[in-house]
Amino acid sequence: MANKEMSVTELREKHMAAAETVNSLRERLKQKRLLLLDTDIAGYARAQGRSAVTFGPTDLVCCRTLQGHAGKVYSLDWTPEKNRIVSASQDGRLIVWNALTSQKTHAIKLPCAWVMTCAFSPNGHSVASGGLDSVCSIFNLNSPADKDGNLPVSRMLSGHKGYVSCCQYVPEEDTHLITCSGDQTCVLWDITTGLRTSVFGGEFQSGHTADVLSVSINGMNSRMFVSGSCDTTARLWDTRVASRAVRTFHGHEGDVNAVKFFPDGNRFGTGSDDGTCQLFDIRTGHQLQVYQQQHSDNEVSHVISIAFSISGRLLFAGYSNGDCYVWDTLLAKVVLNLGSVQNSHQNRVSCLGLSADGSALCTGSWDTNLKIWAFGGHRRVI
Amino acid sequence: MPSTRGSFSGVVGEDGVQYSFAMEYSGPPVTFDIPKAVPIDVETIPVASVVAQVSLSDKLSLPVVQPILPLDNRSKMFSKELKLLGCEPTVSPTSVIDGHECVSKEITLGSEASVSPHSVTAFESGVTDNQDCVLSGELCRLGALEFSNGRYGSSELLEMVNVCQSRSSISHGNSHELVGGAGSSGMFEFSEGIGKSGELFGSSCELRASTDFGKENLDANISNPPDWASSESVLSLDRRSSEVSSFRSANGKNLSTSDFKRPVVTFRGVDTDSSVNEESSIFEAKNSGFQKEPYNEAKKGKGGSCYRCSKGNRFTEKEVCIVCDAKYCSNCVLRAMGSMPEGRKCVSCIGFPIDESKRGNLGKCSRLLKRLLNQLEIQQIMKAEKLCEANQLPPEYILVNGKPLSHEELVILHSCPNPPKKLKPGNYWYDKVSGFWGKEGQKPSQIISPHLSVGGPINADASNGNTQVYINGREITKVELRMLQLVGVQCAGNPHFWVNDDGSYQEEGQKNTRGYLWGKAGAKLVCALLSLPIPSKSANSCGEQVHNLDARAVPDYLGQRTLQKLLLVGHYGSGTSTIFKQAKILYKATPFSYEERENIKLKIQSNLYNYLGILLEGREHFEEETLADMRSNQSSDESSAAITSLSPLMTQGATDGNFAKTIYSIGPRLKSFSDWLLKAMALGNLDAIFPAATREYAPVIEDLWNNAAIQVTYSRRNELKMLPTVASYFLERAADILRTDYEPSDVDILYAEGVTSSNGLISMEFSFAQPEPDDSISTADQHDSLLRYQLVRVPARGLGENCKWLEMFEDVRMVIFCVALSDYDQFCIDGNGPPMNKMLLSRRFFESIITHPTFDQMDFLLILNKFDLFEEKIEDIPLSLCEWFDDFHPVTSRHRSNGNSSNINSNPTLGQVAFHYIAVKFKRLYSSLTGRKLFVSSVRGLEPTSVDSALKYAREILKWDEERINFTLSEYSIYSTEASSFSQ
Repeated sequence: MANKEMSVTELREKHMAAAETVNSLRERLKQKRLLLLDTDIAGYARAQGRSAVTFGPTDLVCCRTLQGHAGKVYSLDWTPEKNRIVSASQDGRLIVWNALTSQKTHAIKLPCAWVMTCAFSPNGHSVASGGLDSVCSIFNLNSPADKDGNLPVSRMLSGHKGYVSCCQYVPEEDTHLITCSGDQTCVLWDITTGLRTSVFGGEFQSGHTADVLSVSINGMNSRMFVSGSCDTTARLWDTRVASRAVRTFHGHEGDVNAVKFFPDGNRFGTGSDDGTCQLFDIRTGHQLQVYQQQHSDNEVSHVISIAFSISGRLLFAGYSNGDCYVWDTLLAKVVLNLGSVQNSHQNRVSCLGLSADGSALCTGSWDTNLKIWAFGGHRRVI
Repeated sequence: MPSTRGSFSGVVGEDGVQYSFAMEYSGPPVTFDIPKAVPIDVETIPVASVVAQVSLSDKLSLPVVQPILPLDNRSKMFSKELKLLGCEPTVSPTSVIDGHECVSKEITLGSEASVSPHSVTAFESGVTDNQDCVLSGELCRLGALEFSNGRYGSSELLEMVNVCQSRSSISHGNSHELVGGAGSSGMFEFSEGIGKSGELFGSSCELRASTDFGKENLDANISNPPDWASSESVLSLDRRSSEVSSFRSANGKNLSTSDFKRPVVTFRGVDTDSSVNEESSIFEAKNSGFQKEPYNEAKKGKGGSCYRCSKGNRFTEKEVCIVCDAKYCSNCVLRAMGSMPEGRKCVSCIGFPIDESKRGNLGKCSRLLKRLLNQLEIQQIMKAEKLCEANQLPPEYILVNGKPLSHEELVILHSCPNPPKKLKPGNYWYDKVSGFWGKEGQKPSQIISPHLSVGGPINADASNGNTQVYINGREITKVELRMLQLVGVQCAGNPHFWVNDDGSYQEEGQKNTRGYLWGKAGAKLVCALLSLPIPSKSANSCGEQVHNLDARAVPDYLGQRTLQKLLLVGHYGSGTSTIFKQAKILYKATPFSYEERENIKLKIQSNLYNYLGILLEGREHFEEETLADMRSNQSSDESSAAITSLSPLMTQGATDGNFAKTIYSIGPRLKSFSDWLLKAMALGNLDAIFPAATREYAPVIEDLWNNAAIQVTYSRRNELKMLPTVASYFLERAADILRTDYEPSDVDILYAEGVTSSNGLISMEFSFAQPEPDDSISTADQHDSLLRYQLVRVPARGLGENCKWLEMFEDVRMVIFCVALSDYDQFCIDGNGPPMNKMLLSRRFFESIITHPTFDQMDFLLILNKFDLFEEKIEDIPLSLCEWFDDFHPVTSRHRSNGNSSNINSNPTLGQVAFHYIAVKFKRLYSSLTGRKLFVSSVRGLEPTSVDSALKYAREILKWDEERINFTLSEYSIYSTEASSFSQ
């Protein structure tokens, strides 16, 4: 007994010491980074004489309003082709929309109404959703409805020990899906078997130490994905190496609510409770740019959701106070506030998504509607 | 794409706005669907028998593919023209004609606009938005400009006429303009846009630069993009612009016969009179004409033209708004109706009740929609149209026995086995005893399910009979009397009959059944001849079904409305899952499905192995201890060495048997099992090997449990911290439970740990069991039975201050917070800090939940759970062990009556006193933080009645909450918050 006790205290001391070392190293790393990072993107761009994007009133206009949900919209996703949208709402339904006609094609009643995320499979035949039931449910859109007219769940991916906060299909792979959860892990699933292929984080030291809120898979290299968490960090993972995160990105001072890969696959953006969006480089690990709007009052509104335009020049960010800024990523200037234009949403924009070709932006809001914004003017797609 | 571009450039002119979005979507739906429709059109057209129209409607659908190139050219031309207009009034003749043609048409339409009845209502709603327009209307000339921007122009020229008649009547004109707007989508946005453009024009007017003015006009159009952008459907644009061409050609023929150009001339004249800038006004007029061409908003379809584009005529196929009767052609319908969340309604009509005359068409799709949309989309629209709440028959329109129905009564009526057919608004009478149903003042039309509690009592003159013969208190009609006579019922002496739902009849005040109406020869034939109703075959035992709520499908819209969500939260170990399971067992006919039971069985069995493992571990530990004691007694000088060499000695002792056996020793067979089990547990793969192991080790378990060493260990179970208290319940029946044919009972399930997944949220819908149907049931109670509750249990994990998902529960009606009373002496390690009292942890959690912004003004019910355990415990362990309760000094004497009576007259037990003390502690805490009243209930989670009464208490709180509004303060006291005493 005594030696057991001793070893425990010994271990605790060792752990404390190690943690101390890690922290000091981390601090040194931060200092070093600051030294190396003599400029940010905006500074450099200004030095190069670049000017910010300006939007005329016709450059981004709301051309569709998708009405049909009865509760707050929490998540949306586009199909890679064919311009359909799936949206998830607190009314306990997934709705699949035809963005062209603004009509519904499916309204799926969920077994658990508290849904937080939804995703369209790459082939557009099925949709996935996850929420507080800690299960990721897959629905095959082609399967026949039951006698009540509800679409049956075709696969339940259960194994998370906390709510499923975000899910995304691995591009080009209809059988693989990555989810992240309130149990501090991300999981790569094999949908055909319904089993976990890999678990990222959790018991491992390099995993997130709080709820994981968002994932984004690299569009250029679908083996890499990034996750954002309540531990204020974002982590980069390689799906082949579940044991540890490739890199951990510090920089936010609040929960990282949203992460999204930059279209070129070498950078990613984050949105956080500290009111900023940040751009990180996955190769150097540097924080490239902070996007922060100074408000007169000290009220910090959280960034809820982000999305990049197809070129990456624009960053769309929805805030908890109802703003939805369009950032010029290069000069870190707000181009437009979609929350204050005419026809804008009545409540906060909770989710954002660009169509695969980048020609349209869809916003989902707590006002129960989704809106599709199209790029007009001479710039066509930006 | 080019076509889109064309029409946009027609608007924006030099800017050359292009909608890239459109490009991506110039998709299959159009090209696929429309060719199909053409033959259908051709079939229908002979009815019209107007040759010109046929060609027109043909063109409507055909040009979809073709016009791309020509339109592109055309649009370029337009934009050129616009530019020309912008600088100099030299315009190509064709374009002028185009513009005039369009404008003039609107004039004629506009003059009709005031006639239509629904435009009047639109006017009323629009009045408030007039101010903006009035502002711009200060300059009469500007009135025209704003319209050109609003493009809801049908009545705009009407307004111009008004302006020219008297400039003071601007507001009047504006109202007309709003009439125009009402028919189209987004009236409010529209008027906003106008206000904006009006201001712009105001500023430009000050400039008085005539050449700039046209440009300004254009800019202004750009400045309210959402207005037009939202009305631009890529699809419809394709088609619309194609239609523009057909329309032009069609109108070209008519042009010669009409004096279309005139109004524009007068218009110009007006402006000249008003002595503002003449030239600019000309531009504006022309500009407006151009702008409107792609999407002019003629208000009233003259001759049945589209309400939105004012093209086509009464023979073109159109879709009709089921609220306001606006008709839209195929090009406009998707724009005007949007995503149709409530079926075919204009966007501005969403949420309004439908036109009752169109009820029959609900859910019946038109060919037009079928052409535009695919099967799935149509299904969704029709489903929404039929099922959405706004489209339901308003119950107050249906009067049964002179009493308007409530929502619930209507549902009862609809969902009974024999519902009235084709229920329409109106007055009906209903004979509850026999099920006769008819229109007020008429003979019965149908026999529906009897005994439905809808409407008031039947009146004697319900069917306006004058025969002085009564059935169930209703004076019957002559036809009925004739029927009775024909089937041989004695009707002499004006008898009062009492007819039951099975057709048996008797005279009032007499016991004997006189006969069976429907058993009489020829009764049904006679009824058929006299067109009287006969009972339907399925009319049997309706009374049963009425009360069986689970069998009835409550419509979705109503289900959502009547569903009351109760959120169940509590710290780990507070018994939320027991309460949830208990509620499931209480209110569900089949609480657990077969699969669930199988899973629960496995769970219970693996739990049991776990408990056994803990016991065996404890046994080893005790054995070591005893051995060490014995050895230290033997060789006191080697006491220090004994500790270090304990484990090798231990193994020796087990294998060699050199040491004296202790009471904790077990035989080799059990020992090997014990080693195996502990190894499996240490590796954490018990679950993996578990189900297969059951069969193999079941006999061992029995031996093991009966083994003296285990029993001795078990008697010291209080020292085994890992062993939960419920373990004894299962351990004592270990042998039974581990049999393969073991079936868990409800109580087993209640006791079992980990049956409800602690990972995620779980919810169940239930309604409280219907009280026994007896005479005292008021209708109000029956309606309550429609109320459904949803008990939602959320895991405590992550429910901190920064919880990301708690805001999802803002629509719950009440939070049921669960605290285990017996926690007051329990400690657990929270993070790295010192062990914390679990009651204090619960309190901290409680504070964070009640102060969460999501639950602002929410009712809270505090359940102090595990009262039974608490009562036992408090006798031995003082409550003041928890520092929060250190001022607990019960004043009651120790002497009290034993027994569980909670009668307040008798002396309360210490447990009850302590419970009230804790309840007050929580109440004070709650009111200090929120300023409101906390409801508290004590519960024994394992007792069904206790949980039932707590949930019924929750129901009473909700009910009381709802009705509080209706009662004055003084009447509050009438309301007992006790669940059982509530009636009425």
